[in-house]
Amino acid sequence: MPANWISTRAWLLMLPLLVVMVSVIGWPLVDTVRLSFTDAKLVGTEGSFVGIANYEKMLTGSNFQRALVTTTWFAVVSVAAEMVLGVLAALLLNQQFRGRAALRALMILPWALPTVVNATLWRLIYNPEYGALNAALTQLGLIDSYRSWLGEPGSALTALIVADCWKNFPLVALIALAALQAVPRDITAAALVDGAGPFNRFRFVVMPYLAGPLLVALVLRTIEAFKVFDIIWVMTRGGPANSTRTLSILVYQEAFSFQRAGSGASLALIVTLLVTILAAAYAALLRRAAGAS
Amino acid sequence: MSALEIRNIQKRYGDVETLKGIDIALESGEFLVLLGSSGCGKSTLLNIIAGLAEPSGGDILIGERSIVGAHPKDRDIAMVFQSYALYPNMSVARNIGFGLEMRKVPPAEREKAVRETARLLQIENLLDRRPSQLSGGQRQRVAIGRALVRNPRVFLFDEPLSNLDAKLRMEMRTELKRLHQMLKTTVVYVTHDQIEAMTLATRIAVMRDGRIEQLGTPAEIYDRPATLYVAGFVGSPPMNILDAEIGGDQLRIAGSDELLPLPQDFKRTAVPGGRVKIGIRPEALRLANAGASGVRLIADVEVMELTGPELVTTAKVGEQRVTACLPPRTPLIAGSTQVFSFEEAALHLFDPESGRSLRAP
Repeated sequence: MPANWISTRAWLLMLPLLVVMVSVIGWPLVDTVRLSFTDAKLVGTEGSFVGIANYEKMLTGSNFQRALVTTTWFAVVSVAAEMVLGVLAALLLNQQFRGRAALRALMILPWALPTVVNATLWRLIYNPEYGALNAALTQLGLIDSYRSWLGEPGSALTALIVADCWKNFPLVALIALAALQAVPRDITAAALVDGAGPFNRFRFVVMPYLAGPLLVALVLRTIEAFKVFDIIWVMTRGGPANSTRTLSILVYQEAFSFQRAGSGASLALIVTLLVTILAAAYAALLRRAAGAS
Repeated sequence: MSALEIRNIQKRYGDVETLKGIDIALESGEFLVLLGSSGCGKSTLLNIIAGLAEPSGGDILIGERSIVGAHPKDRDIAMVFQSYALYPNMSVARNIGFGLEMRKVPPAEREKAVRETARLLQIENLLDRRPSQLSGGQRQRVAIGRALVRNPRVFLFDEPLSNLDAKLRMEMRTELKRLHQMLKTTVVYVTHDQIEAMTLATRIAVMRDGRIEQLGTPAEIYDRPATLYVAGFVGSPPMNILDAEIGGDQLRIAGSDELLPLPQDFKRTAVPGGRVKIGIRPEALRLANAGASGVRLIADVEVMELTGPELVTTAKVGEQRVTACLPPRTPLIAGSTQVFSFEEAALHLFDPESGRSLRAP
């Protein structure tokens, strides 16, 4: 059978998928780009061409700048905490002890929960009137009176970061655990005989095996954290006083709450660009790491 | 003073007894090979000496000092692993010097020691490379260097050559022998390869099911195997083992009319029913020509296999088979009946029940 027929058939077989992809991803993307250069409203006006006015307004506006800071802070702190917690949990679960298999299975649970369920759960924990956190801290004598953790601008973002960490550190732990199990036993034994203590064994023997997989986890988690929407939307809707308004929340509010489709589209494209830059940077990093080992 | 003394070492994993009381005393400079098939407990014993596993009972002394319970780094041992176990992210030089680095040896001294070791192993030109850039043989040299550089009292080798191809394995074997002759170090070496054991060891401990089956020099193990197991394990092709019966001063090979004289140092005690197993090494058998001395054995030639240096011939005595290693140009025809001969001293006798040698000690 001629090669071009095989290739034609391959394209034919992929055609249904391509049609679906173009219609649900390709076309909306193109339309978003078009919208972003107009002053269209969500309902009513079709909007007219306004050039790069939307972009100018968004990039120079204080809302965008503040949301960028909030998002970056959220992403950096929660991903860093997830990495540390995940690796520690993996080191622990890599030890020999009774009930290890059960604990390994249990650890997946937070990550397996739907984000909305997790967010609701944490809202209950943070509840200003009957939340478990308030009760625990009061009974331990750490606070005098119940606080509204999600209602105060000073603590809302931190409370969200904790909830996000709890949900996502198991993924890092899982990846790290798999990497730990790939460390050859002979190499660990050799390091023992060579006289390396626990810290040096981790640094010189285990870390080289962890670094690659952890980098992958870091890439995935950073990009996800940068796009964070659902957990915040369920827990605080970007409040109080916009203290938890990340870029995705801002995009949603601009486009749907304020019904400004044009500027919302431009904001969405800016966020997409930022995430793409992140992804490209990490991809380059990964390639370099792969080349080094 | 023994360099290494192993006293009644036992190891149990739950109900499974992996080591059932091992006793060995090693003089300084000895090269002990623990030889046995997989599962015999040889690697467990090595790990216990290294401190990578704890014994369930017994004691180990290195130079008068008990090391049971001591951290591996405090035992004055170094170990070479089957998989080389090099640190993949470190240069060869750092790999070799890592043990010294962890022991806080000053950099200048460390570098000098690494250079000397590298020169000894002829890997000076590789010092800046990573393990992934080395061949199997080079990695093995680095692994040996990592052990040598620390100048420990006892070297432990865990099947160090079994990941190498046949040619390289022979080269490294010679290299190890050369190093041992030069440095006069005390070595415990685990292998399942009887050739490695025979060529390298000053003494061999043949292990089976968590016990030492026989401990002796390579010549003793080969010439005077203490049990049927040792007789069958050491030697290639393995020793011919045949059923036989004692009648007066003679042995009759079961199922045939072949009669052999009883060896003079044979212990006559306790052989119920007069049944024994006899052993003859294939290389002790030759074709009997007229006037040849020794014991005669008539057999029907079945198969000849030319390996190059020898003609491995399988023949039948009654219903039992014997293998003989004959000179390569021996004119033989399959199906022919031949008279073989061997020296009386080459005849081994074993108790068929216990498998123990019936030779007077």
